Parts: sequence; C-alpha cells; structure tokens
Amino acid sequence: MSGFGLPSDVRMNLERSVVLLVDDNAQALELLSAMFRGFGVHRQVKSSSAADAQNIVKNREIDLIVIDTQMPGMSGYDFVRWLRREAPPEYRFTPVIMLTGHAARATVESSRDSGANFILAKPFTPEVLLQRIYWVAKDERQIVSCDSYVGPDRRFKNLGPPIGKKGRRKDDLSGKVGLAKEPNMVQDEIDMLMRPTRVAL
Amino acid sequence: MSDPQFIKVRYRISEQVNREGGMTAKMAGDRARRELSAEEEKARQAVRETIRKLEGLCRDRNSTMDAVYDLSTEVLDVAGLYDDRPLSESAYALCELSDRLRTQGRVDWSAVNVCTEAMKVIWGAEGPDRDQIRDVLEGLWALVDYVKVAEKEEPAA
Repeated sequence: MSGFGLPSDVRMNLERSVVLLVDDNAQALELLSAMFRGFGVHRQVKSSSAADAQNIVKNREIDLIVIDTQMPGMSGYDFVRWLRREAPPEYRFTPVIMLTGHAARATVESSRDSGANFILAKPFTPEVLLQRIYWVAKDERQIVSCDSYVGPDRRFKNLGPPIGKKGRRKDDLSGKVGLAKEPNMVQDEIDMLMRPTRVAL
Repeated sequence: MSDPQFIKVRYRISEQVNREGGMTAKMAGDRARRELSAEEEKARQAVRETIRKLEGLCRDRNSTMDAVYDLSTEVLDVAGLYDDRPLSESAYALCELSDRLRTQGRVDWSAVNVCTEAMKVIWGAEGPDRDQIRDVLEGLWALVDYVKVAEKEEPAA
C-alpha cells in the first residue's frame, strides 16, 4: 500500500485521456499541469476561467475536468451546475473533480449541491489526487437528475452479496470501489463527501 | 416538480485507465513529485510576491477584505498543491479571518497584518524552524476565534 489507500502497484493508463484543467491562478494551473504530466497525461487543455472552459467543453471531447472552486466571475460550482444541466447532452456527465482551498461561507451550500464527482480539499499530495482519479474511473454511481440536484447519487447503497451469489439486486454496487481506506483523510474532505443532504425526490 | 431520473453512465476514462501500458500508482506519484519539484522555485517566488502584496495592503489600509481574501486564497492555491500544511494552514486562517470580517462588514488591519507576518515567517522557515511553527498557527487560530466571538456577541450589542 502507498499509505494513501490506493495500492502502489495498481496500474493506470492515462496516456489517451484528455483532461481539462481550470484555475484562474496561473501558478496553480502550471503546478496542476505538472502533476498531470507526472501521471502521464499528455493531452491537457488548460483554461484560466470557467467561461472559457464552457467553450472548450462545447467544442471538444474531454474525459475528466479538474476545476478550482473559487474563481472570479463564474465559480467552479456554477460551472459544474451549468455542465450538469445546460451543456450539450453528450458532455453533460463528464466527470469532475473540484479542488477547494477555503470554503467561503457564501459558497458552502453551492459546494454541497454542485454535482461534482469528488471534491478535494487543499492541501493534498499527488497520490491523493491520483486516488480520486482512480475513484472516478471506478465510480459506478448512477447520475441523479431532479429539480434540485443533478450529479452522482450521494445516497449510500448496499454492496449486496458478492457477485455470483444469490440475492444480489440489480443496482447493488460491485465493491470495486472498496479501496477507500484512507487514514489521512482530513475532516473537511469527509464532511464534503458524506454530508447528508435533503434532496426533493 | 418532475420525477427524478436515474441515469447509468460509463465514463470514457474508466476504459482508458485499464488499457495496456501506463504506470503504477507509485511511479505516477514519484513522477508527479519530480515535476512539482522542478516548478518549486517559481512557485515559492509567486507565494513571496503574493505575501508582499498582502504586506502592501496592510501598509496602505485602504483596500477591502475581499482583496485580502483573494490574495490569501492565492497563497493557499499554490501551497496546497505542494501539500505544504503549515503554509496552507496560515493562508487558510487568513482566508477564514478575512471571510468572517467581510461577512460582518468589518475591517481589522491589525489582525490581517498578524496573519500576513506569520505567513511570511512560515514561508521563510526551513528544517527545524518548521517544528516551532505549531505555536504560531495556534496563535493565528486564537485570533480567528476572537473574530468569531465578536461575531456572536454582535447581535446582543
């Protein structure tokens, strides 16, 4: 184990993945890009604003979006809301990892309801970001689309009996995402991921 | 109110990661660290420049807490990608302080200055000096708590 929950010998191939990185802070954008170069992602599209990112999403296939939450003009939260509701249908459910520094009071609710696949609180190590990418790749959650929320299902489901055993239900999770043993996960991240919410169904 | 829809999606990246080739998680992490190291000096200078701007705001005292908040998030954005916990925490404390002040419609340059100076000290600290940083950070959180207390007392005043 690498100490971050993701076994160090897990192989991942991101050579063909097209990743859109969005951050208004030029230095942070360069660092994020450096991290993804390290992960073997050669096809990177960088954007310094959410508005610019909207145009990119409309015009080319993107496999993963990594976006900062707080940006002038359109925030990362607003971008994900737009993506999940108003983007061209074929791109609407592109997976998103949001990076957050400080959760300003005015944006706490937005963060909860944004519809991103994962929210990652800074500071973090490359290993933790890589783990979230792995989680996205193994994410089997359905997308819930209703008036007040569009995004991955945040309700907990039973893993159900093992595959091949009697009694499994159609929507039981397979357990492939069962690698989230992360002793160093900070409380903010846990709160972000686990916070129960009221969703009008 | 319309009925909720449940949609099964299959991400392209799910197929891509399983293709032949690629690298192990350990290798990817090591490579990412090397790439980050190559950018470290530039990043350190960018943080130093942002701290200088904060010092300028504290000197002039005519900006808004929004400006302080924006600059402190800049420090957090960069330090956070290096997993620099002390520097990130000091920047986070200044974010929290300026966010609380602006929410209350208040300005407190002395408090902002204390956070900025602490950030500068942490930025410059290396090796064993970094072990002494805990006290500095606890002091910053006491300052933030003081603003919280003031906030709670405000309606009664």
